[in-house]
Amino acid sequence: MSKNSKFLSVLACGAVVTGLATTGPAEAKVEGDTITLGSAVSITGRYAVNGKHTKNGYDLGVKFINDKGGITVGGKKYKLAIQYYDDESTAARGTQLAERLIQQDQIKFILGPYSSGMTKAIAPVVEKYGVPMVEGNGASRSIFNQGFRYTFAVLSTSEQYLSTAIDLAAEQAKKDGKDPSSLKIALGVRNEPFALDIGAGIHDDAKRHGMEIIIDEKFPKEVSDMTSFLTKIKALKPDVVVVSAHTVGGALFVRQMTEQKANAPIVAMTHCESAKIEDSTVFGSAGEDILCAGQWAPELTYRDDYFGSAMDYTKTFEKVYGYVPPYQAAESTASVLVYADAIARAGSFDTAKVRDALAATDMQTFYGNVKFAPTGQNIAKPMVLRQLQNGKYKLVAPSRWADTPLSFPRMAQ
Amino acid sequence: MSSNNKPVLLYGGILLIGIFLPLALPAFQTQISVMWMMVTFALTWDILGGRMGYNSFGNIVFFGVGMYASASMQHELYFDIGQFEVISDQFNLQLTPEKYLFGLGLGMIVGAVICVALAWVLGSGILSLRGHYFAICTLGLGVAVGELAGTIDYIGAGSGMAAPVFPLAMGSAGLFYSYFFFILVVVTFFSLKWLYSTRFGLAINAIRDDEDKAEAMGLHTTRYKTLAWCVSAFFLSFAGAGFGHLNGFIDPLDVAFPGATFGVWMVLMAILGGKGTLWGPVVGALAFHITQEFFWSTLLGWQRVALGLMIVIVVVFFPLGIMGWAREKWPERFGHILEEESS
Repeated sequence: MSKNSKFLSVLACGAVVTGLATTGPAEAKVEGDTITLGSAVSITGRYAVNGKHTKNGYDLGVKFINDKGGITVGGKKYKLAIQYYDDESTAARGTQLAERLIQQDQIKFILGPYSSGMTKAIAPVVEKYGVPMVEGNGASRSIFNQGFRYTFAVLSTSEQYLSTAIDLAAEQAKKDGKDPSSLKIALGVRNEPFALDIGAGIHDDAKRHGMEIIIDEKFPKEVSDMTSFLTKIKALKPDVVVVSAHTVGGALFVRQMTEQKANAPIVAMTHCESAKIEDSTVFGSAGEDILCAGQWAPELTYRDDYFGSAMDYTKTFEKVYGYVPPYQAAESTASVLVYADAIARAGSFDTAKVRDALAATDMQTFYGNVKFAPTGQNIAKPMVLRQLQNGKYKLVAPSRWADTPLSFPRMAQ
Repeated sequence: MSSNNKPVLLYGGILLIGIFLPLALPAFQTQISVMWMMVTFALTWDILGGRMGYNSFGNIVFFGVGMYASASMQHELYFDIGQFEVISDQFNLQLTPEKYLFGLGLGMIVGAVICVALAWVLGSGILSLRGHYFAICTLGLGVAVGELAGTIDYIGAGSGMAAPVFPLAMGSAGLFYSYFFFILVVVTFFSLKWLYSTRFGLAINAIRDDEDKAEAMGLHTTRYKTLAWCVSAFFLSFAGAGFGHLNGFIDPLDVAFPGATFGVWMVLMAILGGKGTLWGPVVGALAFHITQEFFWSTLLGWQRVALGLMIVIVVVFFPLGIMGWAREKWPERFGHILEEESS
């Protein structure tokens, strides 16, 4: 026991010391002419696809700001850089990495992670240290009702995502001479903060129009089969089907709906772009006439000094990364623009001053107008609704930009 | 025992590390807290896995139940759950230190009671299974409880729940919880050291070596097995309560019942260090946690691949774990006096 103990103590102490030493010393993160922002995004795990969109969006924003000479603070030009960590799509990891960015890497400006769950996990951490976070990918209403002062979101909150689809359904019913309150809704959402909020929003909309929700299903996080949901749809024939099951679940829904020949006059969902339901080599025509909720679309007429119009941004992004930017990428780029604007206006790296400058933000980006409510969410930008028509996304709402009439009712594919 | 001061030196050294490490490296307090938590994981898993020969993949259940129980207790005592739904600028979860500590303490006790009771009930049922059947059953248990927690609205269902914010007046949450988890490790370690030296320790070893014989010798095996699981559950519930509060946000699958990460790691760490030895889980957990943190900061996106490779190497070259390998290599250091006995 005794010799054993000594040997062990050497082993244990050695391991602890070497391990912690190799992790490196903490350093201040406005060095020379570079301001380092920090972000824990999902590079692996279930959010890897959208995590990549988020990271690409951030990188493009940083590149364009740097190409234009950077940000002027106190008469001096600064470039931007981002320190990334991989949160592996788990909330437990996200909070630890946020702590690491702020405490060990001394980063004082945080860019959000991907997904509401992760944002919800990190928001208390940035609040604790008084470090601002600008995020473009945490839309759950529950992030913005806890009195957080340091979390700012450039996006519209989740309960607004599919409201327009319900309104469109009501309009169509009136046109057909039916009472909107006679409509029946089938709702299927993934069991996580973002989608649950969408579900809550739909419940509110249904109540507003007097519609009845006849199917209300929660899918597990790792959903692999939607047969029971689709069977109910076939049996009960709802007028509107609303689904929010993230990228993997969204793709599964579109595929299984066609396989099992389930349909409804209006089918609306989220995450169409990241699930790539327009890709006819994978889905054939299964995605036709599906309504897709989006924070942003290339057809919108917003513009800014860095990227020009929304369409210019789309072209630039496509040239750099080889695919059309989904809104997840656009809102990430917009987060960087908003940060740069606020730091420049604050004229300081003081986190409290930058926070106040963020709160006073009132600007237009290619992504839309940005103006924050006292609780941190963007209130100056509406959601858009696009419909997949002949393999192309067409803007059908809001009417200000809509260039295409709604294709109604949806034909079984 | 050649001299009595050697263990004192070892324990003293660890005590010094426990006290001064978080002070010396204030930026690493969260990692240090999690490091001690990992040691608790490995130690508690080893009770069944190493000492009793029952590979449980379901111990994470007690971690999560402890977490939810303690956080719910805080909410139950001080908050109106309805407030979460109110959109307001003023609302926050700030508590006074006295309230926070009282809620935390009470929550932990309640969590521990619930976990031990749960282990007793579950254990009486499924500990009659042996070998692979037991392992698979516990694996299912872990998954089922996580999914179940995602449907209970009282604890926020799939939206998760927030633990109260650490009171500003108490200083750094990282420091508080690194000491909390260090004390938990110390208490767990010495409780187990003592337990293994009693009849209970011999009984669970006998179950591992030959359960039928143990039963034939008159041991009430099911009772011992259930008791062993209860001990495991007891300490894990404290780890869960601490981690829930440290993390601040409790998600049913990612934070409370992360079977694929914490649940598997506890097995891995015990095996890595050498299961069935007293120090193996400690060494394994430290080695695992530190390597993993190191990979995380250096190999963006490839950290899991590196970790996987490391595990393969350990399994192939050190199948008995670090401590097992060390015992083979230097048996005299472990008190196995071979030559002297035979001569």
